Amino acid sequence: MDELAPNAAVFGIPHLRIDGRAKVTGQALYPSDEAVPNPAYAFLLTSAIAKGRIKRFDLHEARTLPGVLDILTHDNIGGDAKPLVQQAGGKATTTLESNQIWHDGQVIGVVVADTYESAREAAYRVRVHYEKEAPAATFGSKGTTEEIREPGEHEDFHIGDADSAFAAAEIRIDAWYGTPTQHHNPIELFTTTCAWNDGQLTIWEPSQFVYGLRANVARQLGIAPEQVRVISKFIGGAFGSKGSATARTAWIAIASRRMNRPIKLVVTRDQGFTVATYRAETRHHIQIGATRAGKLTALRHKGWEVTSRPSTYNVSGTETTARMYGCPNILTKVNIVHADRNTPGFMRAPPDTPYMFPLESAMDELASALGMDPIELRRINDTPVDPATGRRFSSRHLMECFDVGAARFGWQARDPVPGSMKDGDWLIGWGCASAAYPANIATCTARVVLHGEGHARVEIAGHDIGTGAYTVAAMAAAERLGLPVEKIMVHMGDTDLPPASLAAGSSHTASIAHAIVKACDELRGRLIQAAITSNDGPLAGRAADSINLGNGQLLSRDGAHETVADAVKRLTGGALEAYAENIPKGLNQDTVGKLYQGQLPISRGIGREDVTAYAFGAQFVEVRVHRRTCEIRVPRMLGTFASGTIVNPLTAHSQYIGGMIWGLGAALLEKTEIDERFARYVNDNIAEYYIPVSADICKAEAIMLPEHDRDVNPLGIKGIGEIGIVGVNGAIANAVFHATGRRVRELPIRIENLLCPDRAQ
Amino acid sequence: MDVNLTVNGSVHHLTIDVRMALLDVLRERLGLTGTKKGCDQGQCGACTVLIDGRRVLSCLVLAAAVEGGVTTIEGLSGEGAPLHPMQDAFLQCDAFQCGYCTPGQILSAIACVTEGHAGSEHEIREYMSGNLCRCAAYPNIVKAILQAKAKMQATAEDV
Repeated sequence: MDELAPNAAVFGIPHLRIDGRAKVTGQALYPSDEAVPNPAYAFLLTSAIAKGRIKRFDLHEARTLPGVLDILTHDNIGGDAKPLVQQAGGKATTTLESNQIWHDGQVIGVVVADTYESAREAAYRVRVHYEKEAPAATFGSKGTTEEIREPGEHEDFHIGDADSAFAAAEIRIDAWYGTPTQHHNPIELFTTTCAWNDGQLTIWEPSQFVYGLRANVARQLGIAPEQVRVISKFIGGAFGSKGSATARTAWIAIASRRMNRPIKLVVTRDQGFTVATYRAETRHHIQIGATRAGKLTALRHKGWEVTSRPSTYNVSGTETTARMYGCPNILTKVNIVHADRNTPGFMRAPPDTPYMFPLESAMDELASALGMDPIELRRINDTPVDPATGRRFSSRHLMECFDVGAARFGWQARDPVPGSMKDGDWLIGWGCASAAYPANIATCTARVVLHGEGHARVEIAGHDIGTGAYTVAAMAAAERLGLPVEKIMVHMGDTDLPPASLAAGSSHTASIAHAIVKACDELRGRLIQAAITSNDGPLAGRAADSINLGNGQLLSRDGAHETVADAVKRLTGGALEAYAENIPKGLNQDTVGKLYQGQLPISRGIGREDVTAYAFGAQFVEVRVHRRTCEIRVPRMLGTFASGTIVNPLTAHSQYIGGMIWGLGAALLEKTEIDERFARYVNDNIAEYYIPVSADICKAEAIMLPEHDRDVNPLGIKGIGEIGIVGVNGAIANAVFHATGRRVRELPIRIENLLCPDRAQ
Repeated sequence: MDVNLTVNGSVHHLTIDVRMALLDVLRERLGLTGTKKGCDQGQCGACTVLIDGRRVLSCLVLAAAVEGGVTTIEGLSGEGAPLHPMQDAFLQCDAFQCGYCTPGQILSAIACVTEGHAGSEHEIREYMSGNLCRCAAYPNIVKAILQAKAKMQATAEDV
């Protein structure tokens, strides 16, 4: 797909969610809402220690409770499932496969009972006898091991001579930064419902990748993927946490098979902290060298990330920080620190959120050291080519974002002197930062069925995790078939449908839209061909390229027209159907087969041969810090983003501000506290793990800069789900510095970090 | 034990485990899955229902102890019927993304208005802070409540 015919101009027009009515009436069925006949209920047993072995279970008391049906442990079913394969990082921790304990809260058993209440009570009455060892919790804990991350999935950069250039630089910034452990905490809990029917397993589970989950569970159970169906029509928030299969699913499937009865599991909120993934804590050493005029001469960025004992999972956001600014000497290195913890995983803008915070803070420190406006510093170091590879960016409107954003924010009124802007007892700080996220697109398939009555059905195993994917899919079909969006039905989230890729990495809109458009264009071609070659139709004899589709019509340039419904009827009294596979530029034909097998063939904006493809943005925030209490408030946030074609500005705006508010949470609130003695999460609930609430949020605005990028992909679509969060951490830290003169390099920034400028002086 | 539970105007005679929370009875026994489980410990607000018009966290109420009529999201408007002004405002303002917290938000928002706690954006933010939205649709939720409030008050005056 290189060229596209004129379209019906549906893209770019705000459209209400087509699944909105279902969501506001309670009719949207999330996986745990799906009814199954006569279910039994499961409750997970989790480890109370972080390292060691299970000596034995004492199940007697639990088993004697009324309603208890089965208790699964490594003793009775440990060999029934192969270990899980995680999306990244190689080996993962195990669960019931052995008696080994890798981390606190590890799944070690499943209790099944007639009711949820009985299963829960029985789980509380299981006694576990352990052989304990002293665990290592995090950075600095005794017993952790460190290794340099090998190139492979991620790479390090060694460009020029950063060491010498830094040593010789006129101005140097040399600082350490840290970001904390964070948990996704979608409001929907992790749930799994399994049922068997004639050797066929159906799994209802919220998933960002139904084909991936299917393949993983089939592999674990040693059955064919075709024997497994995964259904996930609505997902109650994911943010990365529902992308990778987790160990729970196979055990619930096995429990259901043993009992020949459907089983429902709803993992508790606290268990969710350890049975799924999280964003690991990171440490950074940044060294920037610059001339007195502000031109960067050296950038060294070293990162450290925590992971579990067996996994090498890491996010390596240096792949973005090395590309932000023109610099002739760049050195990056990422280190992995193994601890007795569960394996981390993808969480909103996985690499860029923790790695851009130190870079964008350091750039602000440099601007401050130079006495230069931070936007001007970024302008001086803007670059049309990717400094890491020398390839050009497919498009890069970073400075346009800054200029539009600065005008809207009123940046010119900013007094650069820290602590100089006040409103009564409130110190006002204005901060900004760059945002960037790679433009990714995956191989994807879709089927479109066009009916004679002039409506269509899109079938694609895509995933709407709140992004508005249902609506985007309908808009893509409407755009190409010339039908109103209301005439398009969309079916998603089911492995009985053609496979779509993982809904993550800001790739899903681009991936599904291209596959749907390709299927629609095949139908379009057939309609047009039949219309112009008919003997008596109104469009007979016209040239194919003179026909466009819009407003439910086939329209010829000379004004002749025919309804889409009539054009379909010429070909069939029933329906026309097209199935399409879209393979993004740079990927091989075999990626479609891989997708069917639940693998993820993706073209990454940082891994392309032709261009480097990123979305860019500029983030502005105002903070107010109370002079005496040091309470921090954020009265307004503004993000300006250039992310290519915006399919639905309504849902795009919601995603952008949602990302920005995530940034506020990360900068000021969120941290999973770890008890180092036990390598245990302490605040494993959403009253004590602070996520933003309504009272935390005032004004949040996103501006979408028009951007036409035909190099990124034929429809010019970049991602929007991740970039909203990326610049916020830095912008808030920079604003806090501007308000108070305090540079906080460790997130989250809380009252105790600022208590209290007045007292300190 | 045997209980009579009035939900959305219908009386249900049920034999339940005394340990059952109202939330689990609604979801697992009555098939009213619009009420969501987000934490099961009164922290997130996803399970909010109305009992005699007051907002209540159904995960913290034993079903056996319910006194009064329960209204869930399914009780606000029938299939094909016009939406409640609050549902419509949430839809029009894109006041949700994943939609999981939405039934609880909508019921809480209706009570926020009827309690008289929707006087200003600031007041709405304060009185809606018991309903967490991880997608962070908060600015649009506040907008929707202001929009619905006007319609709810106009309807009330008509009556």
